[in-house]
Amino acid sequence: MSLLEIKNLTKSFGGLTANQKVNIAVEEGEIVGLIGPNGAGKTTLFNCVTGHYRPDSGQVIFDGHDITGWSPERICKAGLVRTFQIVKPFMSMSVLENVMTAGFLHTNSTAVAKKNASELLEFTGLADKRRMVAGNLTVADKKRLELTRALATKPKMLMFDEVMAGLTATETNDAIDLILALHRQGITILLVEHVMEVVMPISKRVNVLDYGVKIAEGEPAQIARNERVIKAYLGEKYRAPG
Amino acid sequence: MEETIVTEQARPFPIKTLILLLLAAALLAFPLVVSLPFPRRLMILILLYAMLGQAWNILGGFAGQVSLGHAAFFGVGAYTSTMLLMQLGLTPWLGMIAGGLVAVALSQLIGYPSFRLKGHYFVIATIVLAEIVHIMFTNWDYVGGAVGLTLPLLPESLINLQFHSGNAPYYYISLALLAIVMGVTYLITKTKPGYYFRSIKDDPEAARSLGISITRYKMFAMAVSAFFTGVGGAFYAQFVLYIDPNSVFSFMLSVLIMLIPVLGGIGTLWGPVLGAFILIPLSEFTRIYLGGVGGALDLVVYGALIMLVAIFEPRGIWALVERFFGGRK
Ligand SMILES: Nc1ncnc2c1ncn2[C@@H]1O[C@H](COP(=O)(O)OP(=O)(O)O)[C@@H](O)[C@H]1O
Ligand SMILES: [Mg+2]
Repeated sequence: MSLLEIKNLTKSFGGLTANQKVNIAVEEGEIVGLIGPNGAGKTTLFNCVTGHYRPDSGQVIFDGHDITGWSPERICKAGLVRTFQIVKPFMSMSVLENVMTAGFLHTNSTAVAKKNASELLEFTGLADKRRMVAGNLTVADKKRLELTRALATKPKMLMFDEVMAGLTATETNDAIDLILALHRQGITILLVEHVMEVVMPISKRVNVLDYGVKIAEGEPAQIARNERVIKAYLGEKYRAPG
Repeated sequence: MEETIVTEQARPFPIKTLILLLLAAALLAFPLVVSLPFPRRLMILILLYAMLGQAWNILGGFAGQVSLGHAAFFGVGAYTSTMLLMQLGLTPWLGMIAGGLVAVALSQLIGYPSFRLKGHYFVIATIVLAEIVHIMFTNWDYVGGAVGLTLPLLPESLINLQFHSGNAPYYYISLALLAIVMGVTYLITKTKPGYYFRSIKDDPEAARSLGISITRYKMFAMAVSAFFTGVGGAFYAQFVLYIDPNSVFSFMLSVLIMLIPVLGGIGTLWGPVLGAFILIPLSEFTRIYLGGVGGALDLVVYGALIMLVAIFEPRGIWALVERFFGGRK
């Protein structure tokens, strides 16, 4: 049985169908990619799966529970945690406090939360910035913080919404190393990116979304050669100049 | 701009401890040094309003849920203890706790529908609901209607919470109440609820995605806030020995309770104390020397202060103090 199963999920905004009968399954321990041009409906799918939007129809099964319509906080407690494409750090708090806040899901002790948060920040490479106010971090560090914070909730599965967008080549490599390290710890990962190149080398399977419809699924090598996928991405150049 | 509120101190800060001790000593010695009733009365009001401002700050400052209906909690606290005293002869000390608890109950009634609303709508809901409570008490004959209630004069004693020969005991009681609320607030800022409150203020959606039940914690912040506001109302009734709907449920009172932390430093531990020390003397003096205008001048002064804060230091006057003493960037 899959850890996460998205079944026939449909979500529309007025006349626009952002997700149309999308089916995606993620097995325990896998890294699965989800790619698609801008506006394909990736973030909407995230919002539907993690309880921020209610899907029009379809089902989300996680870890044996039908979590369709659950609140975001309940879904997090069940072990499924997402990051936001547009980062959402707690701006007035320090980096350490951000991570501690998430860590309070599993402890009532400030000392324990602090110790755990410090260890996590060490792991994700933000330890030397732990006292900075989150609002003052660079974009790359904000994304790293968002990831660390998600990790502090001790998730079974993480969903990353474009954690590598806008990063330099070096920063992207660091992020990939970090994701692989999480994978080795046994955390299941759904990786959403707009750019194909970063997802391909580390994903076992890749799903492709275009105009809200899943147009392909397969191993990275197959996807890279897939006619429809190439067309969707070529089309993007005309749809979204710049 | 480095961290404003941090879990760990940037450096040991003996000056801070020293100032705190001096302040505590000065506050304790005040009635021994000053025996005139007017300055004492003023100090009692300052301490009471600092407590009310801090109670508001827990909800509005730390959790970011701005209420303009706190007079409702103050008023039910005042009426509860007074009615219990008049009808059952219950000691005002238990009356205070009962008043706080009734305020908590009311806060949950107000909070439940209001927290479904976002931003400005929440503020408006608190105003409307508090006004409804105000009108209900004005029309409720059993509790004296628009005329209000005059508290019975009891023999002077601690258990009766009445002192006629001098107001020093009221002073020490208000100081103790403020100390308790300061202690509770400090505890909150250092523990899980404080972190959760601030996360809700900063980004409720992110907070939810991290497993935080934001409605539950908003209700909790509201309950703590309402409890101490109700206790403050009960103390006020004992102190002035006369309450009526227009004095304890007025919208202006809600505004004043909010202005104290906003002026002093919203979401900080010491902001409300600072705010009360500035606003309450100001409001008393305008009332005495420029009285007769009927509250309108108060509003002008408050409005001007708020504009100054908004322009020069939106984080309140406490931010200036911190910058001066802490040497923080
Ligand atoms: N809250 C919303 N209201 C209306 N339209 C939306 C909303 N969220 C997303 N959309 C639309 O749904 C489509 C998919 O958007 P999105 O899921 O953000 O795509 P992606 O993340 O793949 O770039 C876009 O056309 C977008 O404009
Ligand atoms: Mg997106």
